[in-house]
Amino acid sequence: MAKYAMAVDLDRCQGCRACMEACKIENNTVQSVFWMYVFRLESGEYPDTKMSFLPRPCQHCDNAPCVKVCPVGARYKRQDGLVLTDFERCIGCRYCELACPYGVNYFNWTKPERRQYLDFDDPGIAAVTGGVLPPYQNPDLAVKHGEEQRLTAGGGHFKGVMEKCTFCVHRVEKGLQPACVATCPVGALVFGDVEDESGEVARMLRDRAHFRLLEEAGTRPSVMYFGGAPPTGDSKEIETVKARV
Amino acid sequence: MSTATQEARLPRGVGRLTRGWTIFILAMVAISALGWIAYIREFTQGMTVTGMRNVGTMGGATWGLYITFVVYFVGVSFAGITIAAVIRLFKLDHLRPLARMAEVLTVVSLILGAIAIVADLGQPLRGMINLFRYARPQSPFFGTFTLVISGYLFASLVYLWLTSRRDAAVLAQRPSRLRWIHKIVAAGYTDTPAERERHSKTTFWLAISILPMLVVAHSTLGFVFGLQVGRPGWYSALQAPAFVVLAGVSGTGVLIVLAAIVRKMMVRDVGLNLQVFAWLGRFLMLLLFVYVYFMVTELLTSTYAGSERELQVTREMLWGEYSWIFWSAVIMLVIPLLGLTIQAIRRSWSIPWLVVSGIAVNLGAIGKRYLIAVPSQTHGQLLPYVDGSYTPTWVEFAVVASLLAFGALVIGVFMKVLPIVELEETGHA
Amino acid sequence: MACEQEEARGRRNGALGVVPPPIGRWALKLTRRRFIQGSAAAGAAIAGSGFLFGGLDSIVRSPAAKSQLPFVEDFIPTMCWVGKQDCGMMARRIDGRVVKFEGLAGNPRNAGTLCPKGQAQIGAIYDPNRVKTPLIRTNPKGTTGRWREVSWNEALALTAEKVNEVRARSPKMVLWQKGRSKAEKFYDDAFVNAIGSSKLGHGAYCSDAGYRALEYTIGLHGVQHPDMRSTNYLLAWGWNITNAGGNKFCWITWPQQLVAARERGMKVVHIDPRLRSAGPFADTWLPIKPGTDLALALALCQQLIEMGYLDRPYLTTYTNAPHLVGDDGLILRLPGEGDEMVEAVWDPASAGPVRAGSIESPALEGTFEHAGGSCRTAFEVFKAHVVGYTPEWAADITGIAAGDIRTIARDFGDHAMIGSTMVVDGIEIPYRPVSIMSYHMAQQELGFQALRAMTIVTMLVGAVGAVGGVMSDFTWKIHKNYEPFGDLRVDDPPYDFTLKNSKFFPINTGFPGMVAKVMADPGRYGVEEIPEVAILHMVNPMASFPDRKQIMEGYDKFKFVAVISPWLSETADYYADVVLPSATIEKYEGPINASDGYIDATALRIPPMEPLFESRGEIDIYLDLTEAIGTLFGEGGYLDEINKGLTLEGEFALPLYVKPTVREIFDRWARSQGLEGVSYFEEHGVQVKGPIAADKRYGYAVDPPFGGALHRLYGESLLVAQRTMRDKGAEEIYWQDYTALPTWRQLTFDRSPPEYDLTLISYKQIEHKQSRTSFVPLLAELSPGSRVDINPSTAAARAIGHGDPVWVESQNAITGETRRIESVAAITSSIRPDTVGMPHHFGLWTHPVNRGQGASPNEIFYTGEGYMGQTADQSFHVKVRVYPARGEG
Ligand SMILES: Nc1nc2c(c(=O)[nH]1)N[C@H]1C(S)=C(S)[C@@H](COP(=O)(O)OP(=O)(O)OC[C@H]3O[C@@H](n4cnc5c(=O)[nH]c(N)nc54)[C@H](O)[C@@H]3O)O[C@H]1N2
Ligand SMILES: Nc1nc2c(c(=O)[nH]1)N[C@H]1C(S)=C(S)[C@@H](COP(=O)(O)OP(=O)(O)OC[C@H]3O[C@@H](n4cnc5c(=O)[nH]c(N)nc54)[C@H](O)[C@@H]3O)O[C@H]1N2
Ligand code: SF4
Ligand code: SF4
Ligand code: SF4
Ligand code: SF4
Ligand code: SF4
Ligand SMILES: [Mo]
Repeated sequence: MAKYAMAVDLDRCQGCRACMEACKIENNTVQSVFWMYVFRLESGEYPDTKMSFLPRPCQHCDNAPCVKVCPVGARYKRQDGLVLTDFERCIGCRYCELACPYGVNYFNWTKPERRQYLDFDDPGIAAVTGGVLPPYQNPDLAVKHGEEQRLTAGGGHFKGVMEKCTFCVHRVEKGLQPACVATCPVGALVFGDVEDESGEVARMLRDRAHFRLLEEAGTRPSVMYFGGAPPTGDSKEIETVKARV
Repeated sequence: MSTATQEARLPRGVGRLTRGWTIFILAMVAISALGWIAYIREFTQGMTVTGMRNVGTMGGATWGLYITFVVYFVGVSFAGITIAAVIRLFKLDHLRPLARMAEVLTVVSLILGAIAIVADLGQPLRGMINLFRYARPQSPFFGTFTLVISGYLFASLVYLWLTSRRDAAVLAQRPSRLRWIHKIVAAGYTDTPAERERHSKTTFWLAISILPMLVVAHSTLGFVFGLQVGRPGWYSALQAPAFVVLAGVSGTGVLIVLAAIVRKMMVRDVGLNLQVFAWLGRFLMLLLFVYVYFMVTELLTSTYAGSERELQVTREMLWGEYSWIFWSAVIMLVIPLLGLTIQAIRRSWSIPWLVVSGIAVNLGAIGKRYLIAVPSQTHGQLLPYVDGSYTPTWVEFAVVASLLAFGALVIGVFMKVLPIVELEETGHA
Repeated sequence: MACEQEEARGRRNGALGVVPPPIGRWALKLTRRRFIQGSAAAGAAIAGSGFLFGGLDSIVRSPAAKSQLPFVEDFIPTMCWVGKQDCGMMARRIDGRVVKFEGLAGNPRNAGTLCPKGQAQIGAIYDPNRVKTPLIRTNPKGTTGRWREVSWNEALALTAEKVNEVRARSPKMVLWQKGRSKAEKFYDDAFVNAIGSSKLGHGAYCSDAGYRALEYTIGLHGVQHPDMRSTNYLLAWGWNITNAGGNKFCWITWPQQLVAARERGMKVVHIDPRLRSAGPFADTWLPIKPGTDLALALALCQQLIEMGYLDRPYLTTYTNAPHLVGDDGLILRLPGEGDEMVEAVWDPASAGPVRAGSIESPALEGTFEHAGGSCRTAFEVFKAHVVGYTPEWAADITGIAAGDIRTIARDFGDHAMIGSTMVVDGIEIPYRPVSIMSYHMAQQELGFQALRAMTIVTMLVGAVGAVGGVMSDFTWKIHKNYEPFGDLRVDDPPYDFTLKNSKFFPINTGFPGMVAKVMADPGRYGVEEIPEVAILHMVNPMASFPDRKQIMEGYDKFKFVAVISPWLSETADYYADVVLPSATIEKYEGPINASDGYIDATALRIPPMEPLFESRGEIDIYLDLTEAIGTLFGEGGYLDEINKGLTLEGEFALPLYVKPTVREIFDRWARSQGLEGVSYFEEHGVQVKGPIAADKRYGYAVDPPFGGALHRLYGESLLVAQRTMRDKGAEEIYWQDYTALPTWRQLTFDRSPPEYDLTLISYKQIEHKQSRTSFVPLLAELSPGSRVDINPSTAAARAIGHGDPVWVESQNAITGETRRIESVAAITSSIRPDTVGMPHHFGLWTHPVNRGQGASPNEIFYTGEGYMGQTADQSFHVKVRVYPARGEG
């Protein structure tokens, strides 16, 4: 059984946010939902200003607070390391979100079709798409995944349930790279089986120093950061996205 | 006319529908209705109609007014059942007139708590099933909500029933429009010494068993917040005890108010004399004292020993966005404390003063519940997200208001069906 | 050395071994359509979702999960339609519906990856706000348009009629204007030739001044970029590293090469008023004062000479440094064969002037007496010219400490390893691993000379065309402008409306802003005829170009304007008589260069689906339009011109009297390239031709070296032009910068009154593409709107807080005019305190998504004297004051 993890190379990351877009399109998430988020941080005073970028997917913690607190076991940890949400069991209590130190959970505050990017019910478009929402709807997301056979892939399924990065379970199970990893122009994101010694992630762990976010929280994240440095108290976020709907 | 005279004979104003009472009931019904309209919006359109949003990039609070009140209601219930149980266990007969009120209060606030939780779920229908179907005891949420609400709502219902059974039997002996209800509640009880004996035994043991159960329940309620590494300001061992005490404070407060109202309503003296209020006053004073102590230590730990992020939250609370709530809450708790202490020393108790204190501490308590729930979500995030904000919408206010109204409604109706103050042991037999 | 080169490449591949497996796998799958079995589980997912309260659940069930299984999945290779470098893409389709674009692994430019715009364009394609049918205007121009939806026939007929009306009189008065368009062969060449119109590009806003500077100085068509595989020390000079292009490319290719180079140990010195551009990738940040790059470049030259970092053999052999310059500033010439005169160099042996090229080692330095007069080598003149340009002198002007300038000069000189060589592809080539990346540096008042000076910096150490040195184009092709630039034409009026060969701008590529100015007042510039009909192709002057006011004055003069665009561009909204809806990505387009500078490749844009609505690809549109105009068939017709453009000869040539389909045209072209046909691209997307050989890429290695172009250190023809301009009565503001050697002077915008105490610059954001994406909601979400980057100290001094609305008010130092726009303050420590920056992607209004995004700096920049370069290019600098807008407007 593989154990998946993601390596983020901060010495490469351009802060371009292509990963965020790839994630949104692949997973059909609605407005203002960023399963992948890339911080653009600034610290220090002119002219000794320093800038850094920090991609933030779900950390798929091995000791995941979100899983512990879920009252109905909708949020669960798989043997292969993925932390998933069963969209058919989630009752929308949003406790996982509060338990998570990383702020990666996104709730469906309303019917997903109300948060599409444009008013897509246009005959001209429907002629091509058959009226599905969004027009680039990914059919893999309607399929149940894992031997547990639960509805866990993609976003925008129900009103009132919690969603977050799935490590692209639907792609990984097909043997594909997660969407964010696949699009990253500079290979700052590397995904794979940590236990596979010959794998890229294992190699990086051998060759280079790394840190994890908020290690002190004891969450044991599956996302490792290489190069750069963890954000400090004086890291100030610039260029925030339009995130409130 | 004849029925009127008949009913006139029912004690404790049972069955007597005064004009004031009717207006009150209608008002409460109206407010509840408003709440329903609001909730239907929420149900059909989603919680986007509330002021809640995701923490992190969305810069919101994902738990807001609803959870604030869940915690508050459960707190009130706690005080209710404790007082009731204590009275029976230690046979504090001079306080007996409070017992029934306390029990009713418990049941009602638990029901309100339950409704508030469902109102806060994104998938309420699933919630009502899955919370039991897939219950996970490991989740503090379970401890609090599933266990407290179901387990202990059931227990206190039984308890209330057992303790009301005798009065029902007594009333059932008289002709009235409500007789059938009394018969059902009495369920064949005829108040023979043997029955009486068995009865007080069961209630006694039930009381004994309820107490530990609710301590556990309320501690876990504290842990819901206390154990979160994710939220700066929540990770505080003090949370649980502090929770329990503040619960006592708010509950006693409500009880005082309720008692005062009943005292006014009753034509004949029902034993709700100054002594009773003095006791409540002292009890409230004690709890307040302990709570204020907790509050101070908690502040000190977070302002000095606190992490960078926790400091941010504390700062927000003391001087920032939330300071107005914080300081008013403090005043609402401290002023009554002073007032009560003075009265205690002077050994002279003024009921109006007590009522005011009762209301004040409850406002204070609600404020504190809010401050525990919200600021740690909008500020001091562990990753460098920009600060967020949360303002409840009319929907949330309407739903909460209607909950309070509904509670009052139930108590009001109860008074007219069964004696809100127990009938004396001796007397009409 | 040679092996180091290999290693470098090896590591590079390692670095970019990011080519994600899935895409590789897709590449194999292309032809095989995949039939996905609707697995039982999938069925269950649909049914199961209703397990709770079946009916009620459907209240909350979103259509997102309702998709029907089984389905047919396939993949179509195509190209990014948003960007400048047309990255290769793979369109994933479900039952013929495009659901995602991913990078095409085979394309050298993006190696299987996409930037945020590349990803998000799927949102643009399905945009219900596209122009759906041809439109004809029903209200007066100069204001928001009202439209009548018409048939293609009606729209084309009307356009043809208006065009022919003017063509009959003078074809050149039909103006075809383009923006950053793609398939030049079909548009700029074939169509324009077929109707005989004038054409106008967007380069005067892009980097034409830089192109001209390098064409003039080293003969190549491009600005400056490093040989990134081998450079060790890079001056990122106004390169918006983490957001935008740099030379030639759109984005991805450069950062890919940059991270590989840095993992090799390359140092980056970032010369830019903003740090945000380089983000974490600057080893040193020199926050330069806007517009003063020429001063810094001159100081670097002075230092390199003073420190003796000189590649004498290169300067002597391949540049005009040794040529003799007389006291009159003209190059000394000697009679050659016949009556032609040849430039002279000094022969130390015979102690006399001889014909350049006739001896091995002429004197590089020295002053000599000859024929009564004295003369100096051009290099001697240059040395004398820059003595005064000391670091201390430059420090005052550029705001960069003299010490830093010295350090940079020394490091640059050291890293140049002057004298070293490296064997690449078996050829021994000078190795100078120091370079410059610059592009938009051209868009400043002294852009042309600044780029000349920056090129000279690299010439001094011999880095031009060396391994690890400075490149300009992918291969060493000498541009047709090189020769004529040796002898600039300065005619007498009347001039044509672009002022080509005029006494105002002897070097001039055609500047829409200037054209607008001319159209508003032709007399002033000695112009008699101005264009009457315009066809706008992929250009949005009202939004993309400064200055809007000027542009409007010009466009008011057009009798008829046809706009070809997928969206109702702002220009169309105000000035189009006819709007022809073009397809976005759903069209054949090309052939498009897909080289990353190291590997040669060609690609085609393949439509991943039918054009949406009634839109059409441009080539289709031009086929129909020329047919309507009557210039499709026959000699010199559109088809004939396409044959010429694509060099379709013999069996491949299009018959001149049959209207082909676009696919057929590309099929013939593909076959003419020795491929089985367009199907090759429909399968692979790109044709990779293999590595570009060293003797094509490195100037030293080509035969003859540097393509035989002598590098112009000394720009005699510029001086000559200046004299003619003066003779013909041009004012100083036009001729002042026509100097043989780059010369510093005070900037016009610095003459604005002191209360305009900040300099406004503009830049690009990674999320947006010029004026064509701020309405793509996925991107507008990432970068929501206009902003003014302002340093904390500057903001504090003006009581401005982060997110506050502010006024930005500019002042024109020449006309005294002021203009202001409202925007939002973005407080950041990564910008100079005396500078404010704005992205130029906003300020649009026709698309609902654009509402409330705020203004574009292009409304407050100025076009015209003082705010343009000597070569008729826009400067993107102006003095402004910034103050809170609270309460007001
Ligand atoms: N995301 C994105 N990428 C793009 C484009 C786009 O629109 N969006 N456009 C493409 C096109 S057409 C082009 S031409 C290229 C342009 O690519 P670049 O030229 O690299 O990018 P720009 O943002 O135009 O400007 C570069 C930098 O110049 C700095 N600057 C401004 N004034 C001065 C000055 O006086 N001196 C110095 N030293 N620096 C100065 C700005 O701060 C900015 O960081 O990008 C291409 N790529
Ligand atoms: N202030 C400031 N302004 C700048 C710059 C700057 O740095 N600062 N950069 C300048 C630079 S580098 C450049 S290159 C120019 C670019 O200026 P433009 O080339 O004008 O800008 P674009 O937005 O790329 O394209 C213009 C129009 O093309 C339309 N269009 C998009 N796709 C298609 C298509 O497939 N077919 C057709 N027919 N039309 C299409 C769009 O709707 C848009 O209206 O902007 C310049 N403007
Ligand atoms: S795509 Fe890659 S480079 Fe761009 S932000 Fe994401 S991780 Fe960084
Ligand atoms: S990051 Fe948050 S959501 Fe993801 S696994 Fe860890 S705790 Fe759970
Ligand atoms: S929101 Fe859903 S997943 Fe999260 S804790 Fe509640 S039930 Fe579990
Ligand atoms: S792994 Fe998949 S779901 Fe997670 S951030 Fe990347 S793209 Fe999004
Ligand atoms: S870099 Fe330019 S061409 Fe490549 S994907 Fe991004 S926008 Fe498209
Ligand atoms: Mo450009």
